[in-house]
Amino acid sequence: MLGAGAMTNSVTEIRDTDLLFVIGSNTTEAHPVIAMEMKRAVRRGARLIVADPRAIWLTRIADMHMQLAPGTDVWLLNAMARVIITEGLVDSAFIQAHTSRFDAVVQAVAEYTLDRAEQVTGVPAADIRRAARSYATTSKAGIYYTLGVTEHSHGTDNVYALANLVLMTGHLGRRGAGLNPLRGQNNVQGANDAGASPVFFPGYQRVDDPEPRSRFERAWGVDLPAEPGLNLNAMFRALARRDIKGLFVMGEDPAMSEANASAVERALRACEFLVVQDIFPSLTSRHAHVVLPAACFAEKDGVFTNTDRRVQLVRKAVEPPGQARADWEILCDLARAAGYPMPHYSGPAQIYAEMAALAPRFAGISHGRIQREGGLQWPCPSPDHPGTPTLHVGGPINGRAEFKVVHYRPSAELPDGDYPLVLSTGRTLFHYNAGSQTRRDPGTVAKQPESFVQVHPDDAGPMGLTDGQRVRVISRRGAVDARLVLSRQVLPGCTWMPLHFAEASANKLTNDAGDTVTGTAEYKVCAVRIEPTPPT
Amino acid sequence: MNGMNHDISIRIDGHSVPARPGESVLDVARRAGAHVPTLCHDPRLEPAAVCRSCLVEIEGQARLQPACSFQASPGLVVRTDSPRVRKHRQVLASLYMADHRLADGLPQRSPAGSSLRGFAKAAGPLIQLHPVHSPRAGRPGDHNPYIGFDPGLCILCARCTRYCDQVHGAGAIALAERGRATTVSTNGGAGLLHSSCELCGGCVDTCPTGAMFDKKPSHHLPGQLRRVRTTCGFCGVGCQLDLNVKGGRVIKVTAPAPGQTINDGNLCVKGRFAYDFIHHQDRLTQPMLRDGDGRLRPSTWPRALERVATGLKRVQERWGSGALGFVSSSRCTSEENYLLQKLARAVFGTNNCHQCAAT
Amino acid sequence: MERKNATREQVLLLLEQAGELSPALVRQVERQTGVPEAEIWGTARFYSLLSERSAALLLCRGLTCKLAGSRQLAAHLEQRGEPYRSVSCLGQCDRAPVALDQDLLVRHGRARGAVSPDDPDLPINLAGQDDASFAALHRARQLGPSAVLDTIEASGLQGRGGAGFPAHAKWRAVRAQASPLRHVVCNADEGEPGTFKDREIALRRPYRLIEGLAIAAWTVGAGTIHIFVRGEFPRVRAGLEQAIAAVGEALSGLDFRFVAGHGAYICGEETALIQAMEGRRGTPRIKPPFPTQVGLHGQPTLVHNVETLACLPSILLRGGEWFRAQGRTEPGSKLYCVTGHVHRPGVYELPLGVTLDDLVDQAGGYVGSPRAFCPGGASSGFLPMSMRDRPLDFQGLARIGSMLGSAGVVVMNDTVNMAQAALQQSIFFEDESCGQCAPCRIGTQVLRQALARFLAEGSPGALNGLDSVSWEMEQASLCGLGMVASRPYTSARRYFPGDFQPASSPEVS
Repeated sequence: MLGAGAMTNSVTEIRDTDLLFVIGSNTTEAHPVIAMEMKRAVRRGARLIVADPRAIWLTRIADMHMQLAPGTDVWLLNAMARVIITEGLVDSAFIQAHTSRFDAVVQAVAEYTLDRAEQVTGVPAADIRRAARSYATTSKAGIYYTLGVTEHSHGTDNVYALANLVLMTGHLGRRGAGLNPLRGQNNVQGANDAGASPVFFPGYQRVDDPEPRSRFERAWGVDLPAEPGLNLNAMFRALARRDIKGLFVMGEDPAMSEANASAVERALRACEFLVVQDIFPSLTSRHAHVVLPAACFAEKDGVFTNTDRRVQLVRKAVEPPGQARADWEILCDLARAAGYPMPHYSGPAQIYAEMAALAPRFAGISHGRIQREGGLQWPCPSPDHPGTPTLHVGGPINGRAEFKVVHYRPSAELPDGDYPLVLSTGRTLFHYNAGSQTRRDPGTVAKQPESFVQVHPDDAGPMGLTDGQRVRVISRRGAVDARLVLSRQVLPGCTWMPLHFAEASANKLTNDAGDTVTGTAEYKVCAVRIEPTPPT
Repeated sequence: MNGMNHDISIRIDGHSVPARPGESVLDVARRAGAHVPTLCHDPRLEPAAVCRSCLVEIEGQARLQPACSFQASPGLVVRTDSPRVRKHRQVLASLYMADHRLADGLPQRSPAGSSLRGFAKAAGPLIQLHPVHSPRAGRPGDHNPYIGFDPGLCILCARCTRYCDQVHGAGAIALAERGRATTVSTNGGAGLLHSSCELCGGCVDTCPTGAMFDKKPSHHLPGQLRRVRTTCGFCGVGCQLDLNVKGGRVIKVTAPAPGQTINDGNLCVKGRFAYDFIHHQDRLTQPMLRDGDGRLRPSTWPRALERVATGLKRVQERWGSGALGFVSSSRCTSEENYLLQKLARAVFGTNNCHQCAAT
Repeated sequence: MERKNATREQVLLLLEQAGELSPALVRQVERQTGVPEAEIWGTARFYSLLSERSAALLLCRGLTCKLAGSRQLAAHLEQRGEPYRSVSCLGQCDRAPVALDQDLLVRHGRARGAVSPDDPDLPINLAGQDDASFAALHRARQLGPSAVLDTIEASGLQGRGGAGFPAHAKWRAVRAQASPLRHVVCNADEGEPGTFKDREIALRRPYRLIEGLAIAAWTVGAGTIHIFVRGEFPRVRAGLEQAIAAVGEALSGLDFRFVAGHGAYICGEETALIQAMEGRRGTPRIKPPFPTQVGLHGQPTLVHNVETLACLPSILLRGGEWFRAQGRTEPGSKLYCVTGHVHRPGVYELPLGVTLDDLVDQAGGYVGSPRAFCPGGASSGFLPMSMRDRPLDFQGLARIGSMLGSAGVVVMNDTVNMAQAALQQSIFFEDESCGQCAPCRIGTQVLRQALARFLAEGSPGALNGLDSVSWEMEQASLCGLGMVASRPYTSARRYFPGDFQPASSPEVS
């Protein structure tokens, strides 16, 4: 909608921002070093507004905490939009110059009144109004969000609703003002940039657009498919239906990290031909027909692109163990084994050069330049371009930005009599994703040795559950055991589990209902019940 | 300066130096190339002026003034190397040595850890004073595996405690006790695992003496220590970090100096300490193929690659390209993601290629 | 990092009320205030009254108590099986030797010291009848702030806490600040060894002080008046609270707040005092900025010593010129405390700039043959009797490397070994150094150790390097404590070199 799925601002701008609106991001645990910048801003006097169903650490230093019911973001954000519109706090000049379809949003949000927003979200109407006013009237106001916004069946709607706020206030294209998804993985941005997408070639060029496709066909010397492929969520559904028969998995453990993991694991088990290329054995590799040992980040060269579009070097420090090899070497040999004349690259620098030549956004970036100048932020269209710390300066990069009408849709699975509690999942500071790295280190393990489930005392009491007890968390898709932690961080009726523990894999519980646009699964809302773990 | 029109100039050691009003004398002096030693200074922290090493002479001020907190104003005249300043540094260093007994053999535990020794060396011949025995308490019962505290090496510059409060916001450690007994403490001297410490290790990197140190065993490996600057492989912040390599192993991770990289010298617990996985015995070290009885057995690269190529080709030939799926990784490099999508598209003719974290 | 809207200033009070310090208590206070637990712990452990609570008596080991026989008192306590702990000066030097009970009331000690006889022409007149008419406050309101400031300036009033800074300059500095939120702080954290005048003012003439505060607050436009009372002076606080409560209506519109000290001499330093009021460790702040610019909670703050404030009513009523004329070498009268080897220890109000002999005359004469004196507590070092004719004033004493300070005069006769006396004062400074900056923290230890070693071994080699260390402490310490902490040694060595020869004379009793 703004023309780039990336942070509009730089991490280094956070410290100079005057208002931080953090929604669906437990920044201190998921992005600790960015959280340090936020803390620095708050120490300097910036206002901090947190919207999150949990009382996360940042709420301790926040001016406001809007503790909304899980999955009700659209209600909250549309109600804020309505306040901004009805109180005349919009930036009309910006709207006129740089956007389209504002009228449609004006009409759409009219029904999102504060009173009803309070009923749906649980956030007091006065707080919603105050947040909207603060945001709209602070020039250097930045929105920061993470998976709490996107990992819903209506995740894209949430992002659109946020973008509507940005566009109607014109908080864009200035230092500190913008819309900032904090990317979860070291190179999630770079993987997207490089075309690991069913829709895009490298550099966000559509596969169904003949112009770039013919360019790639010429460069690679083959005809390329014009139909977009399946996204990850769809791919695993296809696998389960046996429509996909052969799967190549690099650096990923879908049996652990995909929603409804039990179903994923069943599908993997049935897969006709499964290849796993990784650094550790995993739940997925148990079912592989071929397992290829790869090098970790300390054992190879290349680049990662971080959350603020900064392309930075990864440098080889040590040799891979045994016969393990860098993924790029394996992939080149594999292509040749399959009969494709993959060039004999001298190394990742040359691979990057091939990509940059095909993707105008990265055309000015090279390993040599990063080596000399440090990280470079795309867009960087030419070797003499300094990179782009702040996006959309002087207007959205795609010309006019279109407002999107979004309406509230409930989460795909809501609590009921059998499964009375909402479960959200997420990360903790001390572990990372599937835990294959952090659960092999003494301090992180000592701080957090096992999985747990946070339950509000008001819910645990009537169920006769006590703090520290082993419990079984059960959803329609599976059951896992974990330690119960009584916590007022969660709302009554809500529970929360970390996703890092293979032996208590929260994704056996989560719902694989995917977002209609991205396919991202609803990790943040599913229905569960909790029982004492039966004695073994 | 940034071409701001509020520029002023001050005199440092006889030279006129441009400055911004309110800028610290230290920053101006260092920009001008003057040597002003510091121990308690860290650009990320509010100045404390407690180590007294940066004291300079300022005309019109009866007493020596801390360069780190004294603000530049038009016409200020500063001397960083007068006999008085030199004598001050010499006696101060002698006092530090009397309390801390830092012989040349001090282990160089962190990049900043040698600052005190450097200060003492530069201060000239020291006055021999009888050692004093400050009763600073340590935390002998702290069994956290990452961060150690040796009170004998501590100079109470409070960089660690100020870092913990001002940068990380954890507030796990603070100065406790008073006078000679002043020390760095948690609530009640509890171990860090039982405090609000998040084990980021920022205290270790900012410590100028090595009193805060990395507890991870560094294996007495042969060879020179090398530092390799790279990008952290955990979350998406893109922190730059230095892998400290010796004998072919990563033995430590340190943060680049503040002000140089996106992370401004900061790291989190994972980036700084969770590197044991690199050399972990569980790593996959050889290609493996599933054989007739359904067991994964070690193989060779040529056989494994051949098996992958034919396996995928067979699916493609029998069911079409649409029956293949390629899951790429947000953990791998951009070049590797580029190659995987190229493999999927150019070699196997499918756009069924997606990275694992599509969000 | 503290929680949003944390109530840090509650920390010390909550700890004080709760009893024995423990990690569990600290966690509870963290929940109540939003201050991180390590900081609460570290702050509590700074203050001796919070960190060391026991049933033991507190036995003063200050110089005056030593001179008066604290060692014999200790032996007496041991004989009776009364447990005790030796602590820094307790501010009861007139009653030396002294021990306090756990309620901080005097358990062992002589009768309270003398004061000057009632004389209505004395600006403070400790023996006079205190009156709560607030005539001076009314007069100030009639005059208006500008005329009040002129009057104060004309009086030549200097800060009586030790620095001798012109009072009107501070007032004008506070008034010049833009912030509408301003504070007046009464520094009643009297702790300089040999000094107990502020205690006497508060106990004998509470309305002098309260009226002085009211005048100051009204003139500089401060909404709140904070009275910071030394923790070891519970009776002083109770007396002032009663006095304020008793007049009720007359002070309506003025917000008086009491803050208790918790056992740290350094909090007499104005920025350390502000730190303590904010619930922090009492470590002095870097100056500038001065409290008049950035004080309590970052707002402009006028900090004055009790005596300075108590001078105000008579200045307003009788005029600046009148007050100025009360002095001999500098303006005004001065409360001099005198203890040690004199017959009638006490507080005497005399023209500023009298000599030692004038003062000791009032105190009934010397006991034995006088040898040395401290003109202003431990911080002033020692002077020989050849200085007995020097005016005891701010500027004259500063010129000879000493100071009037709080005018706590301690007299020593020829039974005293000055190396031993220097050690005694060095122990005080080592105990009371806040530990923040290296020259003071390490320097006080080096000094004390070297003096102790010299006295034990009799070898002057033990003192090698001390001149440099003393110079460094004076030049490079962050606050006034470190700057003066070497004075007892340097002055004793300078004026009494014989006591630093090998084979020294026997110890002081």
